[in-house]
Amino acid sequence: MSTMKILIFSAAITLLVLTSTAAAHFGTVIPSKNIVTPEDSCSIALEVKFIHPMEGQYMEMEKPKKFGVLHNNTKTDLLPRLVAAKGNSPSQSEKFTYWKTDYQIKRPGDYTFYVEPKPYWEPAEDLFIVHYTKVCVNAFGLEEGWDEKIGLETEIIPKTRPYGLWTGNLFTGQVLVGGQPAAHAEVEVEYLNESPGNRSALQPPSNPFVTQVVIADADGVFSYAMPKAGWWGFSALNEAGWKLKKDGVEKGVEIGAVYWVHTVDIP
Amino acid sequence: MRPFFVATLFVTLCSLFSAGPAQAHKVNIFAYVEGDTGYTESYFPDGKPVEGGTIEVLGPAGNKLLEGKTDQEGLFSFPLPAKDDLTIVINASMGHKSKFLLKKSDR
Repeated sequence: MSTMKILIFSAAITLLVLTSTAAAHFGTVIPSKNIVTPEDSCSIALEVKFIHPMEGQYMEMEKPKKFGVLHNNTKTDLLPRLVAAKGNSPSQSEKFTYWKTDYQIKRPGDYTFYVEPKPYWEPAEDLFIVHYTKVCVNAFGLEEGWDEKIGLETEIIPKTRPYGLWTGNLFTGQVLVGGQPAAHAEVEVEYLNESPGNRSALQPPSNPFVTQVVIADADGVFSYAMPKAGWWGFSALNEAGWKLKKDGVEKGVEIGAVYWVHTVDIP
Repeated sequence: MRPFFVATLFVTLCSLFSAGPAQAHKVNIFAYVEGDTGYTESYFPDGKPVEGGTIEVLGPAGNKLLEGKTDQEGLFSFPLPAKDDLTIVINASMGHKSKFLLKKSDR
């Protein structure tokens, strides 16, 4: 092998190792604000992506299977309102599809937005990934609804009210699979480096800093204290009891329950 | 300094003992228009209604146009006085106060 070939080969290996270990995949649904007050505009913009939150890389996202909002015990289908957009991280040259929409808040109370994506094939892990992703927006000071279930195959139920959180606050959630607590579920935690208002991109000193890992207790309950202002994603991973076919071969499906919360520095 | 502290403590204790837990929370108001009527809803964060709160409807210059009381469900409605931006203020007991801007453009 020539030196050049060795160089290219080792670069490719490095890239493979980096992409397969360093970054966790996260579904995201991020609103332009998560607290609507009487002084604000009642319109919020929402972006739905499939990315590596800390490292920033986008993955191509098909139009989700479901996208809706739960408010006042009523679910509203918002899927027809999603519009495709393109984006990437500074490290990517190609652009990837994500989804966005505007939503008009009309009443007080909590609005939980939820996404069920189409299964994403991940060759590096030889499985499909489906991240059921949620975020809560509070409107006009009525704090009702944030801990309601959507009824997704897997989801995180916040046990800490998921808005009005300071940096350093502890977030506690419960992982459900099939509506039941998921004992000892593994929860991955990542900071969204592209959080609006993030003053300096967080540079992890080594790989374990990229994705924090917490194991839930026997009731599926986990906690994590968030050390920086911006958006924090919690992703509880489990293997589905069902399989999907890739090129005629049955493959496993990773189901993730993802929840996003926003923290603000104490002034 | 000391009398002020005692007075503050007194007020704090009063609100602890005389008011239900919900009144330790902030008062909120939400308002909207249907037809020629303005509707207001006043509530604590847990959804408990603010009963007997005073509602003031103010014009663009802060001038009071009308006043009323919230009912048992925390509701108060009024005939729209003007096609202007209106500020609606809820004033509950113990100085709990909140306001909502009802914009002309929202109607």
